[in-house]
Amino acid sequence: MTHPSGLPEPEGPYPPTDEMLAEPVPRDVQEAQARRLRAAWETPKGWRYITAVNNTEVGKWYCLTALVFMLLAGVMALIIRLQLAVPENDFVSADRFNQLFTMHGSAMMFLFAVPMFEAVSILLLPGMLGARDMPFPRLSAFGYWCFLIGGIFVIGSIFFDAAPRAGWFMYPPLATEDEGPGSDIWLLGLSFIEVASIAAAVELIVGTLKCRPPGMRVNLMPLYAWYVLVVGGMILFAFPPLIAGDFLFELERSFDWPFFDPTRGGDPMLWQHLFWIFGHPEVYIIFLPSIAIAAMVIPTVARRPIYGYSWIVLSAVGTGFLSFGLWVHHMFTTGLPSISLGFFSAASEAVVIPTGIQIFAFLATLMAGRVKMTLPMLWISGALAIFTMGGLTGVMLALAPFDFQAHDTYFIVAHLHYTLFGGMVFPVIAGVYYFFPFIQKRMMSERLGKWAFWLTFSGFNLCFLPMHLTGLWGMPRRVYTYPTGLGWDWLNLISTVGAFIIAAGFAAFVWDLIRPKHRQSQIPRNPWEAGTLEWTHDVPEESWGVRSIPHVTTRYPLWDQPDMQARIDAGRYYLPDAKEGKRETLVTSVIDAEPVQVQRVTGPTWITLWAAFFTGGAFIFPTFHWYPPAIVSGALAICCIIWWLWTATAQVPEADSKDAGLGLRLPTYAAGPASVGWWAMWITMLGDATAFASLVFGFFFYWTASPDFPPEGALHPDAGLVALAALGFAVTWSSTVGARWLNRRGQVGAARAGLILAPLAAAGAAAALVGSVMHLDPESHVYPAILWALAIWVAVHSGAGIIMQLYCLAGSLFGKLTPRYDADIWNVSLFWHFVTISALVTCAVVGLMPGAL
Amino acid sequence: MAERQPTRDEDKREFAEEQASLFRITLAPLVWAIHFVVCYGLVAVTCAKEWDIVAVRTGLLIFSACALAGIGWVGFAAWKQWNVAETGDFVNRGGRAEDRHHFLGHAAFLLSVISVVGVVFVSLPLIMIGGCQ
Repeated sequence: MTHPSGLPEPEGPYPPTDEMLAEPVPRDVQEAQARRLRAAWETPKGWRYITAVNNTEVGKWYCLTALVFMLLAGVMALIIRLQLAVPENDFVSADRFNQLFTMHGSAMMFLFAVPMFEAVSILLLPGMLGARDMPFPRLSAFGYWCFLIGGIFVIGSIFFDAAPRAGWFMYPPLATEDEGPGSDIWLLGLSFIEVASIAAAVELIVGTLKCRPPGMRVNLMPLYAWYVLVVGGMILFAFPPLIAGDFLFELERSFDWPFFDPTRGGDPMLWQHLFWIFGHPEVYIIFLPSIAIAAMVIPTVARRPIYGYSWIVLSAVGTGFLSFGLWVHHMFTTGLPSISLGFFSAASEAVVIPTGIQIFAFLATLMAGRVKMTLPMLWISGALAIFTMGGLTGVMLALAPFDFQAHDTYFIVAHLHYTLFGGMVFPVIAGVYYFFPFIQKRMMSERLGKWAFWLTFSGFNLCFLPMHLTGLWGMPRRVYTYPTGLGWDWLNLISTVGAFIIAAGFAAFVWDLIRPKHRQSQIPRNPWEAGTLEWTHDVPEESWGVRSIPHVTTRYPLWDQPDMQARIDAGRYYLPDAKEGKRETLVTSVIDAEPVQVQRVTGPTWITLWAAFFTGGAFIFPTFHWYPPAIVSGALAICCIIWWLWTATAQVPEADSKDAGLGLRLPTYAAGPASVGWWAMWITMLGDATAFASLVFGFFFYWTASPDFPPEGALHPDAGLVALAALGFAVTWSSTVGARWLNRRGQVGAARAGLILAPLAAAGAAAALVGSVMHLDPESHVYPAILWALAIWVAVHSGAGIIMQLYCLAGSLFGKLTPRYDADIWNVSLFWHFVTISALVTCAVVGLMPGAL
Repeated sequence: MAERQPTRDEDKREFAEEQASLFRITLAPLVWAIHFVVCYGLVAVTCAKEWDIVAVRTGLLIFSACALAGIGWVGFAAWKQWNVAETGDFVNRGGRAEDRHHFLGHAAFLLSVISVVGVVFVSLPLIMIGGCQ
């Protein structure tokens, strides 16, 4: 059992009674509270504006940046269409064409679709949950700056004729052998952005689980929050395999380790597996949050609660799971055994069921309600029509024999654009129209919106509907030109005309978005008469998020709890004040959202910019093989992050508990599973463990796929050193966990001794592990290369773990970490649980497998 | 809105098992996922290493039956937790702990239905496709 820390428990009445809520707040108290809140949440002005970390600011920047990248990728698409408009065209060269389609796909996926989910969620989720902000605002800001730097780097390469050009899925050997920095830019730039995505996923999951308003049990969450939870979880299991793949790929590109080179035992199929284990769930990672917007818009326009809430939850969770069993349907033509293809074909057909269920739930809601056709609904209708088309061709393509025929033709291009436009672009634009009054406190134009819709919708169908036929008539993807007389000429010309009509639609939309709207009169607070919490926002804008955090007992509180709005505004609910002048939000329990803690959240800062800047350097310099500056950048990034954590996280509070309003006293500090930091660590490490599992999968994949793995007469790792490493990891784990245990019991001296022993043991263990493979030559064959890769992975994690142990030691010495306030060491122990498991698995693979295989 | 909220202690006593977690609703799809990975992995190795595909197919079909039984058991428990026969509440949109309890049962039940379909689909190639060709 864990020794109690002595921190107070929540005290006071909960849930609040109606009498408590009905008690008026004197006007002067209200005004004083509002003044203090306003001061605490004030957005920085002038050039300091970029230090803001508030979700409303970061979310806006994020959305706009993703929009700009989307427009750039759209321009690339127009150039592609111009080149293909007529046969034997020479508008762009073959090489330029390769760069364009590679960048179009990569940018749309990595710089627009996935970041857009994060951007929109960061912007909207706190509002929907009645939270002041996300639990880790600086992490969102850091993620945003990483995204901006990485995005500019990747997309900028096209202006220097240096862009990646091997297709957005970077198949080896084409991509590994490609001259020039293109492939490296793709790998390192996008890995950097993937890290930002995982950071956002962690933030969003913890936000949904721990920052809901009191009373909002899981059966009352807005459907958007359910989707965020599912998609966040999917990101944790989908992105890490790609990061592991990138790691191997970059080792091959930079140091010639033959992971994907069949002449030295490697296998290009491993990349295809890792890429598509990421790539297929990614399609759903893009689709689900966008369809979640439809789940918010539809009840509002139908003026009734969603029909089949539990069915939609089933659909989101079910799709989340099933989408991981589809990846090989991108690899139907690679010669896998037909029984294997059968599994993936079957799962691909099965995923249609949950996807279809949610669409039927939407239709049922619309049929049962009194629909008011608004602009957002117009876009949602377009989305449903287009997505259904894409879904139907998907059902066709999931059948392996059909796919053999259509693979790599324009039929695929048509299919994927139907799913992505219907599943992502249209719902997101619907969301922009719907949430614009919430975001900017202005309305967008009805007239321009209709123009934009009809241009985009008709242009889209004009462009992509003929492509089905172009594909069936045999035109392959990714050819920069084609001869005349194959019947493709007029189809391509129509597609090109359609593409430009889409562009006109987007022009109308973007103009509507950015045109000045100062002269507009003040909008109503809830212009669509919606029922969910984000529409309790303040007009004109206040940056405090919500004036007081309400007690929610219904799914559509604005419809079902008519007194709520007035009580929020009067500060009648929780946290109506910022007495200490600090930013705070409420942390509640995972299932039932009972208030458990007042969480201090961080404010504006430069440090996240610096941290992102140096992290960027650590990823970007290696692209050009400039390793010394990369190492310096990496070290500076670590320093920035340590300074940021030291000065802003898990601070010893001035009082152990505080009045949260309505007679409730809540603790201001939490450690271990009660704290949001611990949850964030847990979730991050789940993703990290997935990446590690992908590397181990690689090891066994080589063994499965090749008859001589390990090769005859190969040198094996030094078993003695491997055993020593395993012992060292056991020692560092037990000293870390022991230090936590001793510290809690007040034996601070012994705990510090543990924290001195632990990093020494970790360093020794990592050195022994690397030493055990030192005599192997990773360039000679994939067997030593994968052993090296595993050893490096564990050594780097040990390095991070050593920094954390020393951080705790310093915390203990300088009074940041005490027996009472010990959140840091709980998180570090959790990190070491995961690292120790992966280290011991590595020792087993490195030390025992050569004998066993 | 005015309906009485049960006190914290009442909730805790009556539905204490819910303190566990949300993970329970993912049990059935998790069984699907494990079944899927085992089928795919084992068949891939069998075909690559030329093991006895007939024995593996038979084994996997038995395994599929076990997976279905497992999901059936999860689904039955969830059905009882949903308790719709008694409450008649298909929507579970109330704000009481009981509603949440029934809702989680409802969601878990629906997820086990979809998982059964998933397992059946994924088992079909074992029956319909002969070997490693």
